Amino acid sequence: MRASVGDRIVIHPHRLGEHERDCEVLEVHGVDGEPPYTVRWEENGHQAIFFPGPDASVQHFEHSPR
Amino acid sequence: MKAFEGIRRSGVGIETDRTIGDAAKVMEQAGVGALAVIDKGRLVGMVTDRDLVRRGLAQDLESDARIDGVMTSPVVTIEAEADLHDAFSIFRTHAIRRLAVVRDDHFVGMISVDDLLINLAAELGDLSRPVTGEVLFAHHESPVPATR
Repeated sequence: MRASVGDRIVIHPHRLGEHERDCEVLEVHGVDGEPPYTVRWEENGHQAIFFPGPDASVQHFEHSPR
Repeated sequence: MKAFEGIRRSGVGIETDRTIGDAAKVMEQAGVGALAVIDKGRLVGMVTDRDLVRRGLAQDLESDARIDGVMTSPVVTIEAEADLHDAFSIFRTHAIRRLAVVRDDHFVGMISVDDLLINLAAELGDLSRPVTGEVLFAHHESPVPATR
């Protein structure tokens, strides 16, 4: 997986009735967008270090230069 | 199959200076029961929801106590490129349900006993299908070739 700051990572549910979880990439620690990532969970704003598995996918956003 | 191919779900970690309250909220939000504890990029410990209860709440620790006070360290690990079957023997000889997968001391994910069991059950199901078919349904023998 490759991600950039500002991308959204979606973690797909493992059980019936479970909902998708998502977080925003705040920092990329790997080389060339590779994990791990510091992320902020959308729901409660808490930060964690994320190591994506096969249950996760990234939604890229266009990052326009400032 | 290599160990890292046995990882079925994303891993989540927190730094050593975070609190047990932070850890509980991250577990809840991420939907995981264990977190890797990371210091300067390296895996230094593991904390489970059970650790938060037994070593935190039950010991009257405040929610702002540091997570490294309740974590398990050192952590039992398996190298990412090791054979996945090595994980079976590690689970057999250690009282753990989750095994940290590392590459050069850097955490990459976790293998759980539950996930391995689910995979094994699926594989057993696949293997038993032809046997079940043979037991339940008529077995048609090929006719003996005519000799004359």
